[in-house]
Amino acid sequence: MTQILIQGFLLSGLYALIAVGFTLIFSVGRVLNLAYGAYLVIGGYAYFWLSQTLGMPKIVGVLLAIVLGAVIGISKYRLIVKPLKGDHVAVEISTLILAVVVQAGIVLLFGDASKILHPIVSGVSRVGGATVTYNILTAAVVSWVILIGLYLFVRFTHLGRALEAVSMDVKGAAISGVDPDQMNQLTWAISGALGALAGVFFASYTQLYPGMWVTPLIIAVAVVIVGGIGSILGTLLVAHIIGFMEVISTSLIAAELRGVFTMLLIIVVLIIRPKGLFGRAEL
Amino acid sequence: MALLDIDKLSAFYGKAQALQDVSLSIAEGDIVALIGTNGAGKSTLLDSIMGQVTVSGDIRLKGESLVGKPTSKIVAAGVGYAPERANLFAHMSVRNNLLVGAYTARDNIADNLSRVENLFPVLAERAGQETSTQSGGERQMVSIGRALMTNPSILLVDEPTIGLAPKVFNDIAEALRRLNAETGLTILITEQNVNFALTLARHIHVMETGRIRVSGTADELREDAALAEAYFGH
Ligand SMILES: Nc1ncnc2c1ncn2[C@@H]1O[C@H](COP(=O)(O)OP(=O)(O)OP(=O)(O)O)[C@@H](O)[C@H]1O
Ligand SMILES: [Mg+2]
Repeated sequence: MTQILIQGFLLSGLYALIAVGFTLIFSVGRVLNLAYGAYLVIGGYAYFWLSQTLGMPKIVGVLLAIVLGAVIGISKYRLIVKPLKGDHVAVEISTLILAVVVQAGIVLLFGDASKILHPIVSGVSRVGGATVTYNILTAAVVSWVILIGLYLFVRFTHLGRALEAVSMDVKGAAISGVDPDQMNQLTWAISGALGALAGVFFASYTQLYPGMWVTPLIIAVAVVIVGGIGSILGTLLVAHIIGFMEVISTSLIAAELRGVFTMLLIIVVLIIRPKGLFGRAEL
Repeated sequence: MALLDIDKLSAFYGKAQALQDVSLSIAEGDIVALIGTNGAGKSTLLDSIMGQVTVSGDIRLKGESLVGKPTSKIVAAGVGYAPERANLFAHMSVRNNLLVGAYTARDNIADNLSRVENLFPVLAERAGQETSTQSGGERQMVSIGRALMTNPSILLVDEPTIGLAPKVFNDIAEALRRLNAETGLTILITEQNVNFALTLARHIHVMETGRIRVSGTADELREDAALAEAYFGH
């Protein structure tokens, strides 16, 4: 029981971190960034290459992976999303293709085999019969700090409010002096950075392999559809629902069920709440 | 020199032309009304000033051209806008809606806020309410208030009184009058209600199918019965 509670909270923290970058783009830019999982792959491999191949200090590896994620986010906005202005289907198709291209590129550079990442923070602790690795504990804590930070940023700073304003009414934001283009670019940068960071933690929690973008994408899509829809607190809540569902199903029923319930949940919610995706979509 | 100069302005939605060679200038401290029926091009003209429509011709604020600038820069240059559909941030509080307006005018937020709340006391009472739950009149006040928070030298208001009950209608008219009288703010409104335009504005331009047909002072137009007949139908 304690095991499930603790694992549930830790995994949910990681899922929230995975989802928040995706929901941010959806709420501010109204784009389903299906290449979002590619940030995680790129972040994970960048970290692997920097810290385990080149031997840089881990923290430097993490930071450079984050910077790379932000740069790729900005490039994607400027090179693909902005030129395709408003054509959501085109954006979604091209981002999905991009994810596949990234996967192929990774195979080319690093090979097909999965890699084991050393834990970013090593060590294990036992809490009431539950095994807690410091690695996932760090991931969960970092995730909470980031989500709370993001929440405070949106509520209490001019820039954060401007992001929220763009998510609610682009014209209204523009005539208030906010440049929607700038805000979108900022969102893509934040999203890329968070995706890359989530990728480092996710890879060190599971494994690093070229197809690693699919599972996180499903988690992120689930969070958007189940109702987080870009709200930061909603993201945290839904990530916990999904995280606990997964821990409970894999530890009480069968480990093979990992991910299955999440996908079933997406379908069920789509059926009973078909406007889920297009409901309220603010930060 | 006029505060705002519009020079041979044409506006296009794709290939459709919504404004044709519109020229007018607005002096500092004036209240000007654009009147015209549905589809005359009133909102298009205001949107064009804000850089939201593709245009040819020129628009100058204090001699500086606004054409081709992004909307955010036009706001920063001193144009405040309360558009036709308000475009409020529906799930933000009244206060936060106003604060977004201060994005480019952060130096005197407290002063601007108290000016707005003094003008529309209900916005102070309802500071925490989400604008999605507000009445049409309150939303119009938030919209004008948000525009004032940008610290504008000219305020554009698109049909400020459309669909409002007489009491609220008067409150808003009075607020615009006070703004102009007490702070000298230059105001450009659009109206379909000719009588209202005649009581509020000093200069009036009558628009029809994308062109300005007649321009004059409110007094001139009021006395010109033929014009009233032709353009206002009464
Ligand atoms: N986004 C748009 N795309 C295409 N055409 C438009 C668009 N907005 C306005 N128009 C057209 O431009 C013309 C002028 O419209 P506009 O909204 O400026 O009129 P208006 O005077 O504000 O009318 P109303 O009093 O109904 O608000 C109309 O023929 C309208 O159909
Ligand atoms: Mg209009």
